[in-house]
Amino acid sequence: MPDPRKLGIGALIVALLIVLPMMISSSFALSVMNQIGIAIIFALAFNMLLGQGGMLSFGHAVYFGLAGFVTAHVINGMHVDAFPYIPVTLIPLVGGIAGLFFGIVVGFVSTRRAGTAFAMISLGFAELVTGLTLIIVFFFGGEEGVQTDRWVREEWFGITYGPDIQVYYLIAAWCVIAAILMYALTRTPFGRMSNAVRDNPERTQFIGYNTHRLRWLAFALSSFFAGLAGALHAINVEHVGFETVGLGQSAVILIMVYIGGTGHFAGPILGAILITLLNAYLSDVSPAWYLYLGLIFVLIVMFAPGGLAGLIMMHEPIRRTAPYLLWQMAPAYGAALGTSLVGLAGAIGLIEMIYFRSTTVSLDSALVLYGIELDTGDIWPWLICAALGAAGGYGCKMTYPRVAEAYSAAMHEARALVTT
Amino acid sequence: MTPAIEFRGVQKNFGPTEVIRGIDLVIQPGEIHAMIGPNGAGKSTLFNLVTGRYHVSAGHIALNGEDITNRAPHDISRKGLSRSFQVTNIFHRMSVYENVRCAMLWNLGYRYKFWQSVRNKRDLTERTDEVLAQTGLSSRSTVLAGLLSYSDQRALEIAITIAGGANVVLLDEPTSGMSSAETEQAVTLIRDISATRTMVIVEHDMGVVFDLADRISVLVYGKIIATGTPAQIRANTKVQEAYLGTDAEP
Ligand SMILES: Nc1ncnc2c1ncn2[C@@H]1O[C@H](COP(=O)(O)OP(=O)(O)OP(=O)(O)O)[C@@H](O)[C@H]1O
Ligand SMILES: [Mg+2]
Repeated sequence: MPDPRKLGIGALIVALLIVLPMMISSSFALSVMNQIGIAIIFALAFNMLLGQGGMLSFGHAVYFGLAGFVTAHVINGMHVDAFPYIPVTLIPLVGGIAGLFFGIVVGFVSTRRAGTAFAMISLGFAELVTGLTLIIVFFFGGEEGVQTDRWVREEWFGITYGPDIQVYYLIAAWCVIAAILMYALTRTPFGRMSNAVRDNPERTQFIGYNTHRLRWLAFALSSFFAGLAGALHAINVEHVGFETVGLGQSAVILIMVYIGGTGHFAGPILGAILITLLNAYLSDVSPAWYLYLGLIFVLIVMFAPGGLAGLIMMHEPIRRTAPYLLWQMAPAYGAALGTSLVGLAGAIGLIEMIYFRSTTVSLDSALVLYGIELDTGDIWPWLICAALGAAGGYGCKMTYPRVAEAYSAAMHEARALVTT
Repeated sequence: MTPAIEFRGVQKNFGPTEVIRGIDLVIQPGEIHAMIGPNGAGKSTLFNLVTGRYHVSAGHIALNGEDITNRAPHDISRKGLSRSFQVTNIFHRMSVYENVRCAMLWNLGYRYKFWQSVRNKRDLTERTDEVLAQTGLSSRSTVLAGLLSYSDQRALEIAITIAGGANVVLLDEPTSGMSSAETEQAVTLIRDISATRTMVIVEHDMGVVFDLADRISVLVYGKIIATGTPAQIRANTKVQEAYLGTDAEP
């Protein structure tokens, strides 16, 4: 039986998903939430490979995108009665099956080897499919991509998927279903052995498992869920372009999952939410958004390879044995956060001013940053930002070791509490 | 009686180097057969040939009368032959419990199933607890395998090897690097698991070998120079010259 605490959290999440759009009126916010739902499914699917199965793919968007194209064609076919009618509510399954199909075909080849060979093959297929988008025009629609119209006919309860809010609930429902299924998969013989082949492929063979079969199965199932996400994407934006199968899309999902954390089931969910939000709200504000994303990624890889979930789970033993110790750590964490923000403010200021000067052709040299109008032609904004950056950097040098100290002290105390 | 393992003219070369130079040997069902010999004699290589990790260069190997020459490791494992490794070979990022449970999944028929949970399965839970108790790891079951002490990792190595219920077990230096107290424990464990299985064991500790083995084979430079009971091996002058020396008397 599932334990009641998890059931409670699950019910809470579902309730939140139901009321969330009622509290939010902006259509932009709604579309961001739709993107988040799709990203969560895709990220969890990707982590079935990376975190659970130890396979680093540089081309998983292939299955996301191909399924999106298939979905668009199926819906278009239904409009002209070339395809038997399937309720759009169930169309994501069509995408899933398309993903599964391509996953089975390509996976058979690519999962013969793990490690670098697998990564390189995934990259090769991504390039190959990107190349095909411009060749097989009747399927990919060339550079324009494929348009579709999700309003096919009225379904149950008068649902038409005309209004965005209905699409939101469609995505939310599939997101919950897919997440539950993928979580359940981790507890099956397949899921367990997927971890085993990640940890030690050699030993896996000597306990009776064919490592190629295991990886292949993981790849196929992961492609199923990637395809499901791709179908929802097609329904959501009613358009699928060549970039959905491309390396850019593949890189974004990899970065999301890694930042969220590959070692914990919820990690990819965190990453998908955070990066989609940042992308939606920052990419408009700052032209340097990709630079920041790259920076976050590099910092996580270097200093927190477990991702955000890893950082949170590090504190789990402390929280479980003695939550009050977390409060004792708070000042050190707060100080580190403060100095980081100061340094960040300076660095962002400099980056934004450089971007501004190198991209703006107008004679106007004023940039609005943090709600302040800065004259980039003047020396003062540069000096102030540089000073902030330096002060923050120096502050971090002082405060970060305190964080490490506070953490190990708390861990020490927690351990002492356990043993006595 | 069909031999548990039969080697016929088995050879192995790595490039120009002949490592195994013609092995003919029969392992009887139910016996504990010790394989001794100096470093680099080819003992581990022989294990690697039986278990499919390496392909033989010439000759044949049969398991319970069935030819298994050059079959894939997972195939051979499914036929009921299992092995431990000289260098610990476990699943570091999984718990001890998970290590042992995974090692029995195939043989208990769970295979690649992805529509069924492994939790609350009586056969898995009971067998895992049993193997953990047998190998003295019950108290460590929730610990990550990578964080175990060296001797516990060696115990886990054996636990993984026997979890699937193989009837022929090969152990490659199970007591290497252990203190004498730990070795004693390991010997008890090995005797215990050998009660219901055929066992081939590579071991450098002569005390352990002469204590445990029904028969001993001496491998020197890729060839077996003698096979016999501990008493016969002890009395064999060729073995004394080539390998045992005078100080190896147990
Ligand atoms: N994969 C390989 N490639 C090349 N040479 C190898 C390989 N594996 C083993 N050898 C060589 O084969 C010989 C026998 O090695 P093996 O590991 O079987 O010895 P061993 O009897 O197990 O020794 P030890 O007691 O040290 O474990 C050694 O000379 C070794 O260098
Ligand atoms: Mg050896």
